[in-house]
Amino acid sequence: MTNKTQLTIRTEQDEKAVILCLAGRVDGTNANVLDEAVRDKIDAGQPALLFDFEELEYISSAGLRVLLLAARRMQAAKGKTLFCGLSEQIAEVFRVSGFDHILPVFGTRSEALATV
Amino acid sequence: MGATRILMVDDEEDLELLVRQRFRRRIRKGEYEFLFAHNGKEALEALEENPDVHLVLSDINMPVMDGLTLLGQLEETKPDVKAVIISAYGDMDNIRTAMNRGAFDFVTKPVDFNDLQITIEKTLKHINALEQALKNRDRLVAIRRELDVAKQVQLSGVPAELPVGDAFGVHAIMNPAKEIGGDFYDFFELDEHRLGLVIADVSDKGVPAALFTMITRALLKSSSRRHDSPARCLHEVNEFLCQDNDACMFVTVFYGVLDLRDGSFRYSNGGHNPPRHLTEDGAVSELPLTGDFALGIADGHDFGENLVTVVPGDALFLYTDGITEACNHQLDEYGEDRLDGVLGDGAPMNARELAESVVGSVERFVDGATQFDDITCLSLRLRSPSGSAGANGSQ
Repeated sequence: MTNKTQLTIRTEQDEKAVILCLAGRVDGTNANVLDEAVRDKIDAGQPALLFDFEELEYISSAGLRVLLLAARRMQAAKGKTLFCGLSEQIAEVFRVSGFDHILPVFGTRSEALATV
Repeated sequence: MGATRILMVDDEEDLELLVRQRFRRRIRKGEYEFLFAHNGKEALEALEENPDVHLVLSDINMPVMDGLTLLGQLEETKPDVKAVIISAYGDMDNIRTAMNRGAFDFVTKPVDFNDLQITIEKTLKHINALEQALKNRDRLVAIRRELDVAKQVQLSGVPAELPVGDAFGVHAIMNPAKEIGGDFYDFFELDEHRLGLVIADVSDKGVPAALFTMITRALLKSSSRRHDSPARCLHEVNEFLCQDNDACMFVTVFYGVLDLRDGSFRYSNGGHNPPRHLTEDGAVSELPLTGDFALGIADGHDFGENLVTVVPGDALFLYTDGITEACNHQLDEYGEDRLDGVLGDGAPMNARELAESVVGSVERFVDGATQFDDITCLSLRLRSPSGSAGANGSQ
């Protein structure tokens, strides 16, 4: 069970990308946990990183910063960073902050993976 | 490293000679330097004159002031001095008393100088460890002081005093979270007719966020004096912030310019929560986004601009997500609906009442749950010519 206050990160390996499934909340108190998990995946040399937000309830600006860092690092490594499964609330956060202009957002996993 | 200075306190002159003789190699090599006193009083005077002495070897039975009295004084006035008692074998009662008064160790007479040597070294190690601990503590105090400085930096990120005008009232509240946050607001008079309103939120906390906040505020203030267009200003600030921004820190900024002559409010929104436009009859609407994103993310972006008209009696309410994302104990968010509910509450409110009502409502909602983000808002109300209650009152 996912505790509402916690962040759970589950990793799935697809043939095209590594998929990070986040559940719970990302805020200032646990953004560093996400950052470390993401770094590990990037350092392991993945061609693409897909964030699946299906079970994510909340992300703060500290969390958005981690996503931005991930996208930058992947770009430097000639890889792609993709996002899917945003709840209405998180889509709104992306829209207001303008992140939807900068990060590629898809409705579903298969839509995202089709672009890799 | 200079010699370790050790104070020997004994009324027997023989011991002084013996010590000089037995430790002569270490004295010659510059490892130890001995000072001598003949009673407790002399010892205290010697310590007063030589603050670098941290180790005392003392006899118990001495004229004027005995060793036990000396220990009592040391414990009270010189906590950084450690004493080793040298006393006659069989003088166990006095030795127990000495240990209870804080003596670090004891050796018995006749003195076994090998044992004394080992005891001296052991005591010196302890003294060094203590000194290190003190230094670490001082460093910690220094870091805390730095954090206080960062807090000051954050608070200096907002105007100390808001200008007062005949045509408008303005009020701002910032309740920083426990950790140093990255919210700021600004309000300035560009000239006698035009007002600049800013609200912003940096993506991080702590000292880096405080510094980023300060830089952003300074850049925007400087841009606002050179360019009339808010979009142009955000563009310029963004270009600066994007340079060498390896930490990927970003800041959401809303900047608007209100012209009091015609009520035109021109703004650009760099990824910030849309402020609210309130009319005198209680209608609340969001100021539409300008299709832009937070500053510091991507350079070369041309920011958009919107124009709305604000008439006397209307109000503008700018806020950060610390308000809408404030959580109660059940982790429910305060949310925009509650915010709009307070803003559109029937009773017309002046600028101060607006800000205080919202923050008060948030506080009641969270009901003492931990505040994770800064809570910041800036409200402005144009005075109504009719002078009705809602538009009156500046602060």
